[in-house]
Amino acid sequence: MYDAKTQPLASLRNIHKAYGNLKVLSGIDLDMSPGERVVVIGPSGGGKSTLLRIMMGLEQITEGSIEFEGQPYITALNGKTRIDANVRKKMGMVFQHYTLFPHLSILNNLMLAAVKTRGMARAEARDKAMQLLARLGLEDKAGAYPSHLSGGQKQRVAIARALMLDPQLMLFDEVTSALDPELVAEVEQVMLELAEQRLPMMIVTHDMWFARNIASRVIFCAGGVVVEDGPPEQVLGDPLNPRTREFIQRVFHIHG
Amino acid sequence: MEYDLQFHYVKQAWPHLMEGLWVTLQLTFAANVIALTLGFGIALLVMSRHWFVRAPFALLIEFFRCTPVLVQVIWFFYCVPILFGVYLDPMPMGILALGLNLACFNAEAYRAAIQAVPREQMDAGVALGFSPVQRVVYIVFPHALRAALPVLITNGITLFQQSALVALVAIGDLMYMGKQVATETYRPIETFTTVALIYFAVSFPVARLAALVERRLDVARV
Amino acid sequence: MWRGFEGIMKIDFSFLSKYHEALLMGLGTTLHLTVICFGFALVLGFALALLRGSKIAPVAWAATLYVEFFRGTPVLVQLFWIFYCLPIFLGTELSNFTSAVVCLSLYGGAIMSESFRSGLKSIGREQYDAAHALGLGPWTRTIYVLLPQAVLRAVPVLLSNGVGLFKESALISAVGMAELMFIGSTISNRTARPVEVFTVIALIYFLVAFPLTRLVAVLERRILRRLAI
Repeated sequence: MYDAKTQPLASLRNIHKAYGNLKVLSGIDLDMSPGERVVVIGPSGGGKSTLLRIMMGLEQITEGSIEFEGQPYITALNGKTRIDANVRKKMGMVFQHYTLFPHLSILNNLMLAAVKTRGMARAEARDKAMQLLARLGLEDKAGAYPSHLSGGQKQRVAIARALMLDPQLMLFDEVTSALDPELVAEVEQVMLELAEQRLPMMIVTHDMWFARNIASRVIFCAGGVVVEDGPPEQVLGDPLNPRTREFIQRVFHIHG
Repeated sequence: MEYDLQFHYVKQAWPHLMEGLWVTLQLTFAANVIALTLGFGIALLVMSRHWFVRAPFALLIEFFRCTPVLVQVIWFFYCVPILFGVYLDPMPMGILALGLNLACFNAEAYRAAIQAVPREQMDAGVALGFSPVQRVVYIVFPHALRAALPVLITNGITLFQQSALVALVAIGDLMYMGKQVATETYRPIETFTTVALIYFAVSFPVARLAALVERRLDVARV
Repeated sequence: MWRGFEGIMKIDFSFLSKYHEALLMGLGTTLHLTVICFGFALVLGFALALLRGSKIAPVAWAATLYVEFFRGTPVLVQLFWIFYCLPIFLGTELSNFTSAVVCLSLYGGAIMSESFRSGLKSIGREQYDAAHALGLGPWTRTIYVLLPQAVLRAVPVLLSNGVGLFKESALISAVGMAELMFIGSTISNRTARPVEVFTVIALIYFLVAFPLTRLVAVLERRILRRLAI
């Protein structure tokens, strides 16, 4: 059985990913403990989002394996990727472009997967959805459609939709990048609250201030490998690796 | 089924069918020439700032789009001579009816394309000091023609197919010849199948071409 | 060739009031035919759209060939084929109405399948990702996520196709079925007043089709606004 005290929550071993000749990831190794909030930073094209999509089982890998809670989750064998569907159910993901289902009301967006994939009774799913919406201050939007919501509200609904399925690990892929600046805070606030409840997360973001606030660990990814890995004060404040240092200086110079 | 297919009747009638196809192609070509030019004019008129210019042409477009082509063709054949005292041969009359019909459909395609010219393109034109006429010639028209091209080609093929109904007003097109051959030989299956295949053989490659043009333009736009 | 405008002076629509019942009956037949064919064409078109996406190559090809053939030939040719040839194949006579329904439904199905297909194609990659991330299986994904969006997006085009069928149905007069156009021709022959008769016929078609095209435009705006994300 999985023992959270001694075993890592997720362990990635030698993950390679290539699109034809284009190498995106060249050997990622990573152990993540329960309760950790890993923020992945790095230049565009460095493979951050690909890493998250692989964790979600959205992308094939060319080499390597992933274990989750001590169980085999993803393995690459002879060019084929095997994904354990039962383990995959423990991941939740929120995307940059909300990806709400535009033809369904907010309530039905939340209920669909719970009812259809987890066999939850409709009444139970409805109660749970309403509770989640209330927690996010969106209960009055239950009957509305996604097109009636602001970007920040949509993204909060997207988070609630993922939380409906009680994920053991939440993946956030640049969830504030598409938002107008004044709407970013409301989404980040929700994520900070989840962090307080010690929900394990993997976050890809360009917002270094937010990264510092939410991360328990920061990983700098570039050229398809992990260049630096450590606590936020170190990686963001006083990085050891010159490549990280250069990147951080440039980003803070622009945004700071 | 106790019907044995005998295509040699069709083979004998082949020159007749080709004669009909030639008429069909002439009709299609002439109607397209009218429609491609007149359509752009109508599009500009229907986008006029003055409602008294816009309104009649908007009505014209809607009328051609919302009534059956057959009714339009019959109307032209019977009514134009009586109303306007103009007596034309069947062929020019057919070209006129189909050409006007197609012009209205093409006008819609041009209009949509003109409206889709990005606002920034016009702003850039103003910023670069182009005159209004220069903006239409150098910016609006190239954009609109490119954007409308796939629809214009598709409309053109549709007209090729719809031209079959001029057979009903005794123009000797492919369909008309097919009917005659079928009646004379008592071989409807062979004849109409052949006629269908001839129409298909012409329109299918052109339809593929339109699809290709559309893909090309999509790629070019990115 | 110019013979002046004297024709316009003689126009008089009043005699048509005698025929208003016949015209209404013709319109009734046209509408009846259109509605039935619209229904069949929707079902056929949807099935064809699914078959064209089939993983079994011959099935996909057959469906594609069907669609391309019916889109690539004149409806009038299809109509004549079905009227004169289908009875020979089937070995039994078909009523005018049945033949007309068969013809417009087969043609309509080909047109509708294209609309369904572009509806399906317009759904972004991200919707598939989201469905995946939520663990929705292929069946749930298709029925609850993809299909409703595809159908919603296709609704305006499907309705325009219906208006198209309404207009195409005028061709049926060529094989002697007593729908609106045929009744019009008959009245015109009997009274020798084509101008008045065919103008009124055109107006009747227009009065049915035009409001429907407006409705389609309104629906399109609404649906696009709803699905905008």
